[in-house]
Amino acid sequence: MIERFLLTLILGGIAALDATPIAQTMLSQPLVTGTLLAVVWGDWRTALETAVVLQVLAATTAPIGSRTAEDYAVGGVVGVGTAVALAAGRPFAFTQDACALTGVMVGLLCATIGVVPLKWQRRRNESLARWCEERLRSGDGAALVSAHRAAIVLAFAVGVAYCAACLGAAVWGLNAFVGAESLKLGHAWRLAQPLWLGIGLAQALHAFVQRRLSRVAVFGAALIAAWLVLIVGTP
Amino acid sequence: MARLTGGDLWRVAWRTPFLQATWNYERQQGLGWAFCIAPVIERLYPDREERCRRLAEHTAYFNTQPTLASVALGAVARLEEERVATAAAPPAPDDAIARVQAVLGSALAAVGDQLFWFTLRPFVACLGVLLALGGSWIGAVALWLTYNLVHMTLRLRGVGWGYAEGPAVLGSGLRGRLEGLSRLIAQLGAALVGVVVAALLVPGGDPQTVTFQATLAAGLTVGLVTAQRPRPSPTQWAIGAGALCIAAVWFR
Repeated sequence: MIERFLLTLILGGIAALDATPIAQTMLSQPLVTGTLLAVVWGDWRTALETAVVLQVLAATTAPIGSRTAEDYAVGGVVGVGTAVALAAGRPFAFTQDACALTGVMVGLLCATIGVVPLKWQRRRNESLARWCEERLRSGDGAALVSAHRAAIVLAFAVGVAYCAACLGAAVWGLNAFVGAESLKLGHAWRLAQPLWLGIGLAQALHAFVQRRLSRVAVFGAALIAAWLVLIVGTP
Repeated sequence: MARLTGGDLWRVAWRTPFLQATWNYERQQGLGWAFCIAPVIERLYPDREERCRRLAEHTAYFNTQPTLASVALGAVARLEEERVATAAAPPAPDDAIARVQAVLGSALAAVGDQLFWFTLRPFVACLGVLLALGGSWIGAVALWLTYNLVHMTLRLRGVGWGYAEGPAVLGSGLRGRLEGLSRLIAQLGAALVGVVVAALLVPGGDPQTVTFQATLAAGLTVGLVTAQRPRPSPTQWAIGAGALCIAAVWFR
């Protein structure tokens, strides 16, 4: 169990690095980190159900300009991590649904509050940038590499620490509650899951359509065609 | 006179993933820009003092869409080379390069934000979700590979394109190609959302319950209405919707 928690925290740090400081390869997206956590924890159903909802909601959350967007990198790891950690040793489907609901809610809250450590980290980088320019002007060519190394270590450390704090608080604080109220939470999941998926998919559709009616027609045609194929079955 | 080699441009390209490592509110990508352009400055300015002074000037404010920053880096690398080449004649003023950098940054952000944040990212997310609905790991792999096919290609090759075309890089058809790609992905994305909704309504050929279908329709309606305004954000709407569902079950 401890090894799984440690691997989850390391993944939180890696996701925090991928989200903005290094490469932005989308390794930090909830579906990717959720799939990796499914491998680590061995619970594919809970991990992917939670990750799919978080991914749909994260899809249109973009870091445009200087806006600090919700931190779905760590939020995704914490959300799926909480769900699979709570579901460990609970084999029943409705209990796993309760864990998925708890995981998504914790992930969303963690992503929203995660803006605070991100802003703190970026303000520390301001001082780092001023220090680096000063060193460069005094002839220290290695200052650029040192500044980058420091910023990357800080981003990884903040990611791991924030992930540890949120995951620890969620699993420790909610374990007994989820066990006692799993029936009600399972019912709430059956209501909330399609609602969340609908909200997220509508945001994506809005991003694609951009007030062009032809694209609305493409959406409608694809929906009807896919629905018919699924109902009638492929020839 | 020093000239840039293909190896120098590749070194710049391989540094571009670190463009945002030191992102901050004051200079945004400024320090990362200096880190990426450093191989060019090292090649062109053999004098240590002059090299450090040029690098310090490159730490000024800069911001654009991070993937397409490669194109601006290539164009500015060419300007730096021309600046050194014409040093015997009246040298290009330092702020001429900074002006080109700023203009390219804004133009690339306009194209890049549309391509990456508003179309490609939601598209790969929908593709991944569609494939993951059946509980498969393929969704995550498809998301990651599809995004990086475009992202890494543009990031690594962008430096070369920018260097070849110089400051006029966006006027040479590159803008048209990127906007065309953006339009194509948006059309495919609209179709993909339709397929995902159908797959949610009829998973594996068996229709979902009426409650599920009605709640999904309600979510789509709420999502389309709330997408017209930036605030509250989709995440805040989702937290509210989740809390409402829990309360509805609790007090039923």
